Amino acid sequence: MKTIGKVLIQFENVTLGYRRHVVARDVSFTISEGEFVGIVGPNGSGKTTIVRAMLSILRPQGGVIRISGQSSSRLRIGYVPQRDSIDPIMPFTVFDVVMMGRYGRLGPVQIPTASDRNMTLDALAHVDLADLASTSYRDLSGGQKQRALIARALAAEPDILILDEPTNGMDLASRITILDLIKHFHSEHGMTVVMISHLLSDVANVVKKIMLVEPRFFQVGSVEEILSEENLRRIYDMPVTVGEWMDTKVIIARGKSV
Amino acid sequence: MSDAEILHTIFTEFPFALFGSVIAGILCAYLGVYVISKRVVFVGATLTQVAVAGIAFAHLPYVHIEPVYGSIVFTVIVTLLFGWMLQSKSVPRDTILGASFVAAIALRILMIQKSAGAEASEIDAILKGDILFITADQFHLLLVAFLSIMTVHLLFQKAFLFVSFDAETATTQGFDSRWWEMLFYLTIGGAISIATRVVGDVFVIGFLVVPPAGAILTARKVKNIFLLSILYAILPPIIGLYLAFRLDMPAGPTTVATALLLLLGTWILSRLKR
Repeated sequence: MKTIGKVLIQFENVTLGYRRHVVARDVSFTISEGEFVGIVGPNGSGKTTIVRAMLSILRPQGGVIRISGQSSSRLRIGYVPQRDSIDPIMPFTVFDVVMMGRYGRLGPVQIPTASDRNMTLDALAHVDLADLASTSYRDLSGGQKQRALIARALAAEPDILILDEPTNGMDLASRITILDLIKHFHSEHGMTVVMISHLLSDVANVVKKIMLVEPRFFQVGSVEEILSEENLRRIYDMPVTVGEWMDTKVIIARGKSV
Repeated sequence: MSDAEILHTIFTEFPFALFGSVIAGILCAYLGVYVISKRVVFVGATLTQVAVAGIAFAHLPYVHIEPVYGSIVFTVIVTLLFGWMLQSKSVPRDTILGASFVAAIALRILMIQKSAGAEASEIDAILKGDILFITADQFHLLLVAFLSIMTVHLLFQKAFLFVSFDAETATTQGFDSRWWEMLFYLTIGGAISIATRVVGDVFVIGFLVVPPAGAILTARKVKNIFLLSILYAILPPIIGLYLAFRLDMPAGPTTVATALLLLLGTWILSRLKR
């Protein structure tokens, strides 16, 4: 596994919002090379807003955001959006979609080369979708679509992988496959990963550092510090039990898994 | 008149009508693939009405500018406004487009009312889609617009496709989606403003929707959708002009009706193949 290296993303007392509506205030954290960070919080708490700021899609209303140090080259981000946000009418093949990951390196005019095609095929092989390269993206299952979007992010040869709710709405088998895949890229390839999820158990079992986003508060720390029973009870306003079963962290609220 | 004589007359007496409507058809059919895939057909319909309002404005007493300039100025201004307003989440996109659509039609009617009789009849001819009398100047302007817009689109096809598929990720990869969206709408606005002046609003709306819809129904690859959409746009103007001659009907709507019949045939064939 890769050791923690230089700081890739740094937020200092950042305020985020849309026009007059402030979503998150006083957000401070760093993400360093080789880290696996989870972003959790209730629905509408501002998780995606923080990620949009990391992606430089949203400008901060206050504070400072530093991306990839001071004068180094641009941080290359492999972004995996929520798959439901993509609903194409055109029959893009899986290969077409993954090839888009190369476009950032090519620029708007340059035509993909044989090397770009090979990188695309490699990325497809990494997520076990090589056989479906010529299938229409529209015809894939939810889990396959998610893997195609991860392959597209990998094809960009990113410094950091940012995933927005990668397991949302998936059945158990697909969920485990996706989480294993992400864990594999972190542990075997040393990939820096940031994963948003509202599924606390998913995050608790794969990440080492957690950001907990609430409408008025922002906390960052280890899994044990942040996902404590007391903290979760306060946030979700219900009794929560945090335990371990067969080496797996389990978070239960009133008999329901959260 | 025999069929051969009709076709001979069209080719020799009305070449600008024939080639102008084919060029306008190809341009609209190509851009229409994006219009449909981005689910912004109403933007196309609204801009067409804005273009007609611009033409009506050019015919007002004391204004007297070349109608195509009125069309271009109105459409570009509204396109830039759309680029800004459609980003807003406070007012729904459909509401903005609906209001603009109605405003353009109301403005057009009011301005036609204030135009001189002869000029009002020229606007009426545009609305009816009288494409037979396309002039050499109009044809050359359309040709320049066609070559310019197609060059931009073919040169930056990768960026336009990426942004239309997933604007947010495209932005993270260095393709500022707001900029590319604006460029896309400006090319759409440019094409609609000039094509509406030359071939009429019914033709433009029809060819922004019908050939791309047929191509999307038939093709299994993105590249083939663009090619098929262009192919679907070539035949209807020729058949439409022939039928307009034969049946003494306005050529624009006849051409669109031909394209619709082609779409219907394509849809039936695609259902039978399944």
